[in-house]
Amino acid sequence: MTGSPRPAPADLAAAAPAARRLPLGSILYAIAAAGIVLLAASVTVNGYLLNILMQAATYSVAVIGLTVVLGLCGQINLAQAAFFGLGAYAVALGTVDWGLSYWLCIPIGLAISVVFGAFLGASTLRLGGHYLAMVTISFQQIVTLVLINWIPVTHGPDGVPRIRRPDLFADGQSYLAFCIAVLAVVAWVVWHMPRTRLGRAMRAVRDNELAAGVAGVDVYRTKVTAFAIGAFLAGLGGALFAGGFAYVSPDQFSFAESIVFLTMALLGGVGSPVGAVIGTGLLILIPEWLRFLKEIPGLYLAIYGLAVILIVVFMPEGIWGFLGDQVKRLRPKKPAPPPAQDLVLTQGAGQSAQVLQVEGLSKHFGGLKAVDEVSFSVARGGIHALIGPNGSGKTTTLNVLSGLYSPTGGRVRLDGRDITAMPPHERAAAGLGRTFQNIRLFRSMSALDNVVIGAERPGNDSVARDRASLEARARAALAFVGLEARAGEPVSSFSYGHQRLIEIARALAGNPVLLLLDEPAAGLNSSEKHALTGLLRRMAARGLTILIIDHDMTLVSDVAAHITVLNFGRRIADGVTAEVLREPAVIEAYLGQEAAEGPAAGLKSDLAPA
Amino acid sequence: MDLVLQLLFTGIGIGAVYALVALGFVLIFRATNVVNFAQGEFSMVAAFLMVVFAVDLEWPYWLSFLIAIGGMALLGALFNLGVYYPLRHRTYLPVIISTIGASIFLANTTLALYGPQPQVLSPVFETQGFLLGPVFLDSQYLLIIVVTAVLVAFQYWFFEHTLIGKKLQATSQDKEMAALLGIPVAGMIMLTFVYSAVLGGIAGILVAPVLFVSIQMGATIALKAFAATIIGGFGDVTGAIIGGLALGIIETFGAAYISVPYKDAFAFIVLVGFLILRPQGLFGERIAEKA
Amino acid sequence: MALLEIRDLTVRYGEIEAVRGISFSVEAGEVVTLLGSNGAGKSTTLKTISGLVKPAGGEILFEGRSLRGLKAEEIVRRGVAQVPEGRRVFPGLTVRENIMLGASNRKGLSARQIRDEADGMFELFPDIRRFADALGWTLSGGQLQMVALARGLMAKPRILLLDEPSLGLAPVIVQAVFSIIAEVRRRGTTVLLVEQNARMGLSVADRGYVLETGRLVLSGEPQALWANDDIRAAYLGGRQKVAAAV
Repeated sequence: MTGSPRPAPADLAAAAPAARRLPLGSILYAIAAAGIVLLAASVTVNGYLLNILMQAATYSVAVIGLTVVLGLCGQINLAQAAFFGLGAYAVALGTVDWGLSYWLCIPIGLAISVVFGAFLGASTLRLGGHYLAMVTISFQQIVTLVLINWIPVTHGPDGVPRIRRPDLFADGQSYLAFCIAVLAVVAWVVWHMPRTRLGRAMRAVRDNELAAGVAGVDVYRTKVTAFAIGAFLAGLGGALFAGGFAYVSPDQFSFAESIVFLTMALLGGVGSPVGAVIGTGLLILIPEWLRFLKEIPGLYLAIYGLAVILIVVFMPEGIWGFLGDQVKRLRPKKPAPPPAQDLVLTQGAGQSAQVLQVEGLSKHFGGLKAVDEVSFSVARGGIHALIGPNGSGKTTTLNVLSGLYSPTGGRVRLDGRDITAMPPHERAAAGLGRTFQNIRLFRSMSALDNVVIGAERPGNDSVARDRASLEARARAALAFVGLEARAGEPVSSFSYGHQRLIEIARALAGNPVLLLLDEPAAGLNSSEKHALTGLLRRMAARGLTILIIDHDMTLVSDVAAHITVLNFGRRIADGVTAEVLREPAVIEAYLGQEAAEGPAAGLKSDLAPA
Repeated sequence: MDLVLQLLFTGIGIGAVYALVALGFVLIFRATNVVNFAQGEFSMVAAFLMVVFAVDLEWPYWLSFLIAIGGMALLGALFNLGVYYPLRHRTYLPVIISTIGASIFLANTTLALYGPQPQVLSPVFETQGFLLGPVFLDSQYLLIIVVTAVLVAFQYWFFEHTLIGKKLQATSQDKEMAALLGIPVAGMIMLTFVYSAVLGGIAGILVAPVLFVSIQMGATIALKAFAATIIGGFGDVTGAIIGGLALGIIETFGAAYISVPYKDAFAFIVLVGFLILRPQGLFGERIAEKA
Repeated sequence: MALLEIRDLTVRYGEIEAVRGISFSVEAGEVVTLLGSNGAGKSTTLKTISGLVKPAGGEILFEGRSLRGLKAEEIVRRGVAQVPEGRRVFPGLTVRENIMLGASNRKGLSARQIRDEADGMFELFPDIRRFADALGWTLSGGQLQMVALARGLMAKPRILLLDEPSLGLAPVIVQAVFSIIAEVRRRGTTVLLVEQNARMGLSVADRGYVLETGRLVLSGEPQALWANDDIRAAYLGGRQKVAAAV
């Protein structure tokens, strides 16, 4: 499929805040949060309002959990109420039946939630969305069944009354203040999460799993972590909830409540904790205003169900996703960052003169031998080209080399290490960088964030791990390809040719031992191709080892010192560029037999119209 | 031993219902690559339509059945237009969420209209059943098994021996190519939804006399049908049938020998077990992996 | 009046302009070849003609009538069939079923007639007759290309669009595929062929066009195009190397 690079809309995923916050912002936030907490503790409200605020605060914590797992990492979780219930029951049963301290019950509840979350995630996240959705529903149902039926432990359908609050926050108002304080901390952490290493990894996974793996992100572990964090926050919200209402019962943590949590996240905007709080607040207040709806059982949830469909169809980014875009537009431009440093590329630490050794590599699809016993090696420093007609097995070879396919046979060594059995992110850690034929950038992020993820490649020892160093490295890489001035812009605003350069910059920032370029000239016009030739030469001049695949023979013969030629999955030539291009087998593979004879030898003359 | 045979009969009967709903899952999944989380609600709505016409209005059973099936065809069409079609170019996640929203909507609209009390739909036959040796063959279970067998046979014939069946298969395998051949892709997807809704509806009507007719019946059946599709290997019609039957048997024996309250949990435990140990299901992927 | 006329066609994928204002025409009975490298816009042009991609600008006229706004299945009913890149044979259907589905654009045929006609196709494609009941995914690339061509012909098209039929095939198979294309032409079907293999692509053509990064840069008789150094340069790394090779 070469012709359809139509970018998929970044569904549900509101663009993460791109601007880097000053510490001033955090200080102001802390002051404001402290003010609200004091207000909650001191201004007396009636019991009705207190309950609503308590519910909003504790639910918000759980909904922010969905912000992490669904918004940041793009994984669905339909058991948020079950995790919420685990936290709540830990506090309820711990304080009532076992006489444990509230402060001890909270970590127990969190531990249980996280363990179940990680287990569920670990068992299903390799399989993708549908399975995850169904397994989380199943888990939700099992938790409900156990809460109802395991009466000796859970008290069954009657629930657990008289849950105690900690002595410190014994009265309702001070407990509310405590909940709001926790919410403020959780919201702050999750607000900043997109710009941490883990947060970037999650967004990368959400935007493009393949590219994330190749850039060195452990996709599976990132997803499990996100899932566990989501479960953790649900458990925390539930533990707070139990203390707040002093009574829990199984129906408070049913599948329907999971849907309520999901709706709250979607309505507010699943990409941000602000959206989570907005959505939660609205969906707690609106039903209170429309209390009469609850008089007819079902009507209330029927409207929820309809709202879910309408939000997904008409407002995929949620309320905050919509508002946030407006706010971003109004925000003044930030001052220019310091000028970019020069990009340093090192050559890798291995002893061998061969950076890459491919021995007897095969990849079969059913009966089709896409790659058949191919051997070649790439010498340190300089550009090596892998060419061949369409369908000759070049891209398959590249996909096997980068770990996207596992080979049917053969070995691959990188810098002397056997990488044949490694998954993509471990190969990246071993020093392999690559770009894709159909550009794979993280579409919801800025150019800079894309390249920062490249700079974060595990095993990249050319840069310190703090944010300033990583950004400096990323800017240097963007400057190297000539795009430093537009570093902060979202990648979707760049032209096709420039997106390709960003992808190359992402790989360069990781200081790879070997860079694989998959048809970098495809779709470029002639001036862009010319610029690409210059860029490739500059990369080679800094000692980077490059393996390039391309159809453009002018480009390849201009930059490559060595060429390996494939045809029908087999190596048909290998050697110094000028000699390889003279070999009859190569000419035949590209132009057909008797290349010099021209079309007169073709078929039309034999089969002239009757 | 007698008990084992008796349980086996009941298990196959209940498993046949799961198999029918699972077939609906598989058909929609193959046509759209989307799991329809509202599949179970099709069964629930059809059962309620039967309660409305056959019980409340006391219309003849056959007429009520025809109306219910017609209603399901309409619901399938509306479902396609309202829930799937606007999102067809988006990723699977919004579509999943949308079908979940539809499931909540259908279940609770029914609740709002009909109230929470479970309803009773009487069996088709007057006779309870008869003894075959030591095993009592309940007439409704027999009917379920026979109808399921007929529907499966019909579906096999339809997909394997008619041109329109082949066009449906082609659409599910490669929509763009199907369009290039002049196959009306949107129409094929519409047909799939209508047929799946009818299939789910028949399952609901068949099982209604055995279970109570309640708004929860949809979610319960759907989850088990989904477990059945995973056991059988996703997207595989034969697998869905065998998975459904296996699940019905496991559940019936589990309830008899282990625990009644946790009857519904067995399906989920089997489901998670399969996901961990053999995610490709019993029958795996038919079509070989290719780049 | 040309059978197919493309006027100033522009196609965008988001920000990317894949086809930038091209115009060409195909007369009834002709074989016209579009040459160009990967990413030149050839496949996009064919997809746009077939209605899989909506043009950003320009006009596509078939038999003098605009194809604007028609869905893919309506365009094929007008008589514009395409054999797309990568054959796209349905993997889970048999060869015969695949070929039978080629007639989906034609009305009023019974299943029996379609089946007989599909079996008749094996006259032109004897190599795949013995696979008639084999599932699509079990076939090799060359066999799949034969199935795809047979399926395309079942549409009884006024014009057949062929997207890179030589892709990934051994030279001897490519020769076989192109003799069939020549035979198709001899039987009076108009063909618009997209190729990277310049020699084979031009061998069956009455006229050729060269696309580069979404623009038509050359057009003419096959012999003249073949003699053009730029064409050869595009396919084998610069003039001097071709000279050296020859």
